[in-house]
Amino acid sequence: MQSLKINNLVLQQDNKTLLSINETVDGGEVLTIMGPSGSGKSTFLNWLVGMLPEGFQASGALYLNDQDISDMASHLRHIGLLYQDPLLFPHLSVEGNIAFAMPKGDKKERRQTITEALKQVGLEGMGQRSPNSLSGGQQARVALLRVLLSQPKAILLDEPFSKLDSQLRQEIRELVFEQIKLYNIPAIMVTHDESDAVAAKGKVITLASVPA
Amino acid sequence: MIVANTLFTRLVRNSPYLLIALLVVPVAGGLLGVLLPAFSWLPALNETNFNLSGFSQLFSTPGIDKMVWLSFSTSLISTLLAFLITILILASYFNSPWLHRIQRLLGPILVIPHAAAAIAIGFLITPSGFLTRLFSPWLSGWDTPPDWLFPHDPMGISIIIGLTVKELPFLLLIALGVLAQPEIGKKLRAQHKVALSLGYCPMTAFFKVVLPNLYGYMRLPLLAVLAYSSASVEMPLILGPNTPPTLAVAIMQWFHDVDLSLRIKASAGAILQIGITVILLLTWKSLEVAIKKGSAAILVNGEREFGGMIIQRFTHLLTSIILSIIGLALVAMVLWSFAGFWSFPDLFPQQLVGQHWQTAIMQMQTPLWNTLLIAITSTFIAIALTLFALEAEQQNTKTISSISGFIIYLPLLIPSIAFLFGLVWVFEQVGSQHAYINVILAHLLFVLPYVFLSLANSYRLLDPRFGSVAASLGASPSKIFWQLKLPLLLGPILIAAALGLAISFSQYLPTLLAGAGRINTITTEAVTLANGASRRTSAVYALVQMLLPALFFLLAWAIPKCLYRARA
Repeated sequence: MQSLKINNLVLQQDNKTLLSINETVDGGEVLTIMGPSGSGKSTFLNWLVGMLPEGFQASGALYLNDQDISDMASHLRHIGLLYQDPLLFPHLSVEGNIAFAMPKGDKKERRQTITEALKQVGLEGMGQRSPNSLSGGQQARVALLRVLLSQPKAILLDEPFSKLDSQLRQEIRELVFEQIKLYNIPAIMVTHDESDAVAAKGKVITLASVPA
Repeated sequence: MIVANTLFTRLVRNSPYLLIALLVVPVAGGLLGVLLPAFSWLPALNETNFNLSGFSQLFSTPGIDKMVWLSFSTSLISTLLAFLITILILASYFNSPWLHRIQRLLGPILVIPHAAAAIAIGFLITPSGFLTRLFSPWLSGWDTPPDWLFPHDPMGISIIIGLTVKELPFLLLIALGVLAQPEIGKKLRAQHKVALSLGYCPMTAFFKVVLPNLYGYMRLPLLAVLAYSSASVEMPLILGPNTPPTLAVAIMQWFHDVDLSLRIKASAGAILQIGITVILLLTWKSLEVAIKKGSAAILVNGEREFGGMIIQRFTHLLTSIILSIIGLALVAMVLWSFAGFWSFPDLFPQQLVGQHWQTAIMQMQTPLWNTLLIAITSTFIAIALTLFALEAEQQNTKTISSISGFIIYLPLLIPSIAFLFGLVWVFEQVGSQHAYINVILAHLLFVLPYVFLSLANSYRLLDPRFGSVAASLGASPSKIFWQLKLPLLLGPILIAAALGLAISFSQYLPTLLAGAGRINTITTEAVTLANGASRRTSAVYALVQMLLPALFFLLAWAIPKCLYRARA
């Protein structure tokens, strides 16, 4: 069973405690973190990916599938990131963006996987297009495929739907949660929007604002 | 935007035309003034028939192939090296506080004139230089200076070292400037982070994600560096071989020869120089295309680690070596400027004296006055024209056209040696015999693009609502410009002024040619002394060359701080 375990995490800035979390997220589940600006949501995500900025201190441990990855370099953690901006690489085609994320392997097989994946999310035949020529919703789908096909062991969602209009937001949100379940990956989502938290159907942690 | 028709607004409206004319007329006239003699049309020598004798003379010059090769290879290799080292430093220290530490250490090199940098490198690598003294006799066993050809080596290695060390900070600062832009820098950093989350090691993530996007912003400055180095005179004159020298140096010598018939060959050489620069730019473009094509499959092959640790260690070593070269060259220059008796292989002089400074300061009063007068005048004109042209943009609510934008950088892309001699001919034709005015106009050609480059961004980013608010309160366009925009832009204006002054201080060829050798500045004196007998006096001149721009940059940094502190 895949799982992401946050063991007694205490995040501090200048000896002031920002947040304390002790949670386990199982494969296919989404843990939602909500809270006002400055409550430490982004810092928490940065800690999860091993990029805690200077000035912050953390105690506690992070286990991914029972392996302690607290001191592991960011790029070795296999934790995928999905931001509010798709951040597709403009110098690569849609297919290139996904191939970039996939593990090494047979060229033909990789290509076939990409074609099937694009078809699955309604982007059939768009592999050779430049990311800049896609609509916002199409870009969001490519970004999702890029994360999923990199075979992450966990996914972090940083306000992933906040820049989409309401109709597209619902559509992409369903797709993301559906894929997380399908791939059985533990996920943590940071959001301001309660409807995101409801749609995720998982546990919600609301962080309090930190007194100045 | 409806603007009142006042003297100020008319002045502003016409300033872009004046700016373009000030750049196009001299460059085009200068090119024509070289093109006609190149095809043997030189009435002053009774040559009024167009033919190719200048080119046949040029191609029958002994060693011409070596001159061409030296110009081509030194500029291509040095630009390539400076670019590679820039990329390695960026890749190794991306997102690390060390990147800005390195920037702070290398930044001051940017304001050091090429001549002073060449003199400093020369002091380091000459047989009795600081480098051999550092390792002698304990490691090398040398009790007397070794018998090597550095500087002035026939392969141009010394020129390559000099140009690389000088170009590196420029390219690094250009790249860091791009990364500092909120939109671009934030996006590239976020994409790097995405690549890390996809399992790429930081170094590979930089090469596969950041570099392909960053490169587009560095292309024009890179081409400018390549064009400049292919035809630069100061570095090859001080560090390069003499038999034969680079083509640019040879052209300069032919133009200055007492035998006036050599002017036809020199003009043909100037045309050849343009050809070399164009071939270099095309070579660079071909390399770009080949690398893009060759790396397309590598970018998406899923390989996440390309020996990052080894490259990182190599870069640490390389950066330390470059910083040491710069540090040692500066120390050597300071020591030489105070050195009394200093025998080889002693690391330090037996005695330190202030006599060279005293003598040099006595001698340099006229050159120093000339330097300041020319630099301040040309910079003042450049700043005024740039500010008016940028104000015209805002009044017309459209940015300067791409053609005009390109013209502004024209003097940086066309080899100066190819049009400066023609410019002298233009000055002669229009009867402009006032050497100071000619030199100021020639300096303006190089000061103006840098001042524009430095100020344009800040002016365009100024919130237009300040102007709207002031206008709604009844302020005239001239009042908004003088009393609102200029005070708000004081910092960037002072930095642009310091940059303009530094560019003017460093000009050798424009001063020499437009002034017909009658106007001496610190730079022309330093270059002359560099090949002369007194290493000590040369060190003093080179240090003054470095201190002058540093002083004005310090002032540009300190004045706004003092003013704002006083207000607080």
